[in-house]
Amino acid sequence: MNISIPALIPTLGIRRRSVSGIWLRHAVSFLRYWKFVITWVIIEPVVVLVAVGMGIGKLVTEVEGADSYAEFVTPGLIMGSAMFHALFETSWNAYNRIENDVYETALTTPITVTEITLGDILWAVTRSLMTTVGVAVFAVILGWLNGWSAVGIMIPAVMVGAVFGTMGFLFSAVAPHTTFLTLVFTLVATPLYFFSGAFFPISILPDWVEPIAWAMPLTPGVHVARGFALGSFDITHLWAAIYMVALTAVMWPVAIYLLRRRLIR
Amino acid sequence: MTEDQHLETDFARNANGTVIEVENLHKDYGDIAAVDGITFSVNPGETYGLLGPNGAGKTTTMRLLSGLSPATSGSIAVAGIDVIKDNRAVRELMGVVTQHDGLDGGLTVFQNLFLYGFLAGLSRARAKERAHEVLEFFSLRDRSKANVYELSGGMKRRLAIARSMMTSPKVIVMDEPTTGLDPQSRNRVWEEMAVLKDSGVTILLSTHYMEEATILCDRLSIMDHGKILDEGTPDQMIERHAPKEVAQLRVVPAALRSVREYLTGRNISYREVGALVSVTGANGDRPDLSGLEGVEGVRTSYRAGNLEDVFLAITGRELRDG
Repeated sequence: MNISIPALIPTLGIRRRSVSGIWLRHAVSFLRYWKFVITWVIIEPVVVLVAVGMGIGKLVTEVEGADSYAEFVTPGLIMGSAMFHALFETSWNAYNRIENDVYETALTTPITVTEITLGDILWAVTRSLMTTVGVAVFAVILGWLNGWSAVGIMIPAVMVGAVFGTMGFLFSAVAPHTTFLTLVFTLVATPLYFFSGAFFPISILPDWVEPIAWAMPLTPGVHVARGFALGSFDITHLWAAIYMVALTAVMWPVAIYLLRRRLIR
Repeated sequence: MTEDQHLETDFARNANGTVIEVENLHKDYGDIAAVDGITFSVNPGETYGLLGPNGAGKTTTMRLLSGLSPATSGSIAVAGIDVIKDNRAVRELMGVVTQHDGLDGGLTVFQNLFLYGFLAGLSRARAKERAHEVLEFFSLRDRSKANVYELSGGMKRRLAIARSMMTSPKVIVMDEPTTGLDPQSRNRVWEEMAVLKDSGVTILLSTHYMEEATILCDRLSIMDHGKILDEGTPDQMIERHAPKEVAQLRVVPAALRSVREYLTGRNISYREVGALVSVTGANGDRPDLSGLEGVEGVRTSYRAGNLEDVFLAITGRELRDG
């Protein structure tokens, strides 16, 4: 196999046109089908939010730091949705683009694999932001999130989008078939959704599970988003943000390497 | 089509005047040599063909040339650019038609062209304008808003070629431009390629259709097992390797045995291709088949030697067998 060291290092000569061209392609494609996609971007997470906030919220009368369970769960659910969208974009959708030669065609223009991943990750971040805005507006209307908090959680939404947009390639670039991508949900998305502090504070987990839960890549996103939602910050929120940036920085070169190996033979 | 499609004599070339220069090119996949030391060059405005069966290394050669795949060793120069060192630069100036159209199913016909042009570096306004121009040229204008999957195979292929024209390239590589197309669509693609050639575009194409190679190519190489076996104009190749005439016997199954016995008995070499028995005389002259006249179930006709015979003569195999 022809594995070169430069493939592991993101090239510095990134051409802006390549990145914006890839992003634009996704935006154009999205706008063609927005009526369908919007149901997943906004309606589905809002349904979950209302069901959990109003249903379970009635049963849970006390939760640390928040006035109500609905207020507690809102930032967690939004980050969960941001994760699903970013992850889906670069796992399932990117896999289809590999299989249908969309990337191959792009590579006949002066574009690099690094630029493809960057354009895709930016689009994944865009989708995270879309769902965050959509659900946050709804939460503000319901009175579960205040206006400034809704603006603030855009920051963790971008970070979650970057983490999971990058992570998706670790699956799509090595997937032998679409069934393999089921693992994205069974091994990553669903466990993270429930064990990253979105629905309940990590502190109520058994002592030995706690550190594992804190290391989960969605946990820092939920933590920072909740900081904005509840309006209280400490040093742990800074660590959480740094953790997400570091995760992205570590996974990105691996994503480039794996996608290169898949596309450039 | 437009001004930049007209013949230009000042486009970039390699130091020795060629547009494409490939020297001792190798590409290994593990122990398999997909391309095994090929050397050829293409002159400005020329249409050059790589003719060979599936698995001959044609597609790999195309991918190496367009910078989609790194070479194991050897050198490639396109219009003065060292492809091995700077494959981004070569993708700036070369049009590429990949084997599987690679059309984007998430986009309309027009969006496929527009976004490709934008990605390749055209301004939005220019990409739109150019997309309209190529749609016009390829008579796809009324399909502009169609989904890609609604198009026929021939239209998809023509759209893929149209896409490679977005940047008005002076050099195009086309990997099997008409494989899988019906005869009508194939003719249409050939016509359009002829117009491109007329406008001064240098074309490198791969094919396993000898008819396509004969009609389109100024020069061609016969390729097999990653090697180039011989090179020349179609006429030169036929003169060099093919018999002047080949007898073709259409034989009903019941008569097949007696035909075989007749030919074997007279030491006449023959080969069976499907329902046809092809017979070549010694020295390429017309073989003596007088004994088969009047045999029921045998119809004899004669045709001139062609590239199919060339391939057989050089490799000992049928082109279409793969």
